[in-house]
Amino acid sequence: MAAADSPSPGLRRRDLCSRGIRLAGKMRSDVVDLLDTYVEWQGLDASASVAAVEGVPVAAVERWDEQTGTQRLLENLAAYRTFRALLAQMLEEQQEQLGEADTALGRALASVLLQVSAFTYHLEELLQLESRGTPSEEVDVPVPPSQLGLFERKLRGLGVLRELAQWAVRSARDLRQLAKPSPGSSSAPGPDESP
Amino acid sequence: KCGTHNLRKMICTWDISSEGRQTVNGHTDFCYTNNDLLPPVCFKTKEKRVEIPVPESSSMVTITTNSISGTALATKKFEIHKKDISLVPLTPHILSLTPDFSTSTLNLKWSDNGSIFPYGLDAFWQIQILRKEGMEKVTQALYYSKLTHEDTILSWNWTSDMPLECTSHYVKIRCYINATQFAGPKDWSNWSPMEEVPGKDTDPNGSGVFPQDTVVAVGSDVTICCVHEEGQQILQMTYGRETYPMIHLSSRSSAIRVLNASASDTSGTNVVCMLSEDGMEGTVLFVGYAPDVPQNLSCETSNFLTIKCTWKPGRPSGLYGKRATKYSLFERISGKNVSCEVNEINKDRACGFQVQPDQKVYNFLLGVSNPIGQTQSSLLVNLTQRVHPKAPEKLTVSSNSSTSVHLHWFINGSFADIRLLCQIEVSSGHSGQKMHNVSMAGGKFSTYVALVNTLHPYTKYRFRVRCSAADHFWRWSDWSRIEEHTTLEA
Repeated sequence: MAAADSPSPGLRRRDLCSRGIRLAGKMRSDVVDLLDTYVEWQGLDASASVAAVEGVPVAAVERWDEQTGTQRLLENLAAYRTFRALLAQMLEEQQEQLGEADTALGRALASVLLQVSAFTYHLEELLQLESRGTPSEEVDVPVPPSQLGLFERKLRGLGVLRELAQWAVRSARDLRQLAKPSPGSSSAPGPDESP
Repeated sequence: KCGTHNLRKMICTWDISSEGRQTVNGHTDFCYTNNDLLPPVCFKTKEKRVEIPVPESSSMVTITTNSISGTALATKKFEIHKKDISLVPLTPHILSLTPDFSTSTLNLKWSDNGSIFPYGLDAFWQIQILRKEGMEKVTQALYYSKLTHEDTILSWNWTSDMPLECTSHYVKIRCYINATQFAGPKDWSNWSPMEEVPGKDTDPNGSGVFPQDTVVAVGSDVTICCVHEEGQQILQMTYGRETYPMIHLSSRSSAIRVLNASASDTSGTNVVCMLSEDGMEGTVLFVGYAPDVPQNLSCETSNFLTIKCTWKPGRPSGLYGKRATKYSLFERISGKNVSCEVNEINKDRACGFQVQPDQKVYNFLLGVSNPIGQTQSSLLVNLTQRVHPKAPEKLTVSSNSSTSVHLHWFINGSFADIRLLCQIEVSSGHSGQKMHNVSMAGGKFSTYVALVNTLHPYTKYRFRVRCSAADHFWRWSDWSRIEEHTTLEA
């Protein structure tokens, strides 16, 4: 009996991309829910304007459609590795500040962290498919929260989650772009245009 | 006119009439005597002031003015009575003014200059605290001390009603010596030079909301300020969801006053300072309760290895995480102290303490503290009177005869120092439930055995067992699992 033929790289890539798109979609809706929980728990004003948080990868990108597939993957990977570190930091701080009192927010944060980790591995898998080694893992996490006041940390967390929600949108687009038969051609709108 | 700073020497000053001033440009001859029997003491001076001893009752003073060539121009005699000499202490000086920003407290230190006064005099000190750009007086306190003929450093604390970061605070002091024996008029000294604790509104990088992330008791009145950059305006300041009227402190600082603060949410109450040019500063205030005195403190052992103390925490503090209430158990006899891992959410608290070799009596002090306050509860127990064994395990039943069985069970723990009382419950379909009490010497992680007789032959029974301390009963263990057994045929 003939061994099952292994799927062609193209087919494998499209499969990974479509699974990635679903992951990004789920992540985005969970991040949006998390934002609501976060705002409520932290007593913040949902419309509060938060200055760009130093060290948080920005989703908006210029000439989005000129990026190569590898560029997209590398930028996504760098971003989600940073978000993984930022969310882990937020979770640790949440535990220190609220201890056993915080259950809902802590669980929601942990769940999104898991998804970000999963999505990071997914991107690494895609990069390996492109026969490119994944870049080394060092992520320089921005200003450690202990130097910031609590209110600034609350705002910073808000900024991180908002940007993560934007990234989830961009990632879905990037992966759709990658899934197209001829990588690099594009007609899809830039990520900073509303979906 | 004569005045003294130290009751021993007085400084006399005089003036010359306006016409005399044109001709008197030489020196002045000054003579004084405090005692008619002694010759006067004379000396020359260019000044119109001299320092001479304070007389017992009065001094006779003669002042002769001279021209440049030394010819006497005018002479005047004065009698200075003690009651006319005023006592005005020297101007005091502040040695140090030290802020403690975490408690908004100023510590003031100064010398009482007591060495220049006789022993035992009463001294009063007025301490004035001023604030804001306009140097408004915040408070004035009166401090009393007794002079000891030595220079003593006095210390005084003042807690501000607002964070010291909010704006600069200034302090000055003055002194009054209550020399009751001194006949002359007495007056306050001059104010000392002002000492300042600069606020963050004088620091170019001082922006922020203060106090930063602090904890206060429910019901407190709290002043919270927003320090911003020069030229920026505060649009509004909110505490939680409420906007508060602002109190101007300086061109770079304004405050709000929250009265009778209510308990904050789990993550604290946000204080937000909305600034022009899209600026925003903030802080978080945690409003909670001091810990309640722990109720129903009780300690027992299940195995003579560890002691488990439990208590009811009383009213929740409303503080969580690193601000949560912390418990520690101190045992006075052994001197050992353990900190207890507790969970602010669930109501029960428990803490384990190692049984100490050869120690029966334990004098526990349960310490409770959180950032708002602390309290304690104590308990003296004799451990042999607080035995609450674990449920017996590995219960087995073996037939001894058609009307008796042997029960074997194991209890986890070291009971060698006490006797155990165990209860065996025997139930069967037709003879219902009977209880057998057996007492036995305790053992160390031992298996125990008991005989149950007067049973019916060839009958199915269900057995279970529980134990407690025989002397000084405290609590039964839980029941063991049920073991079924049918007796032998007759």
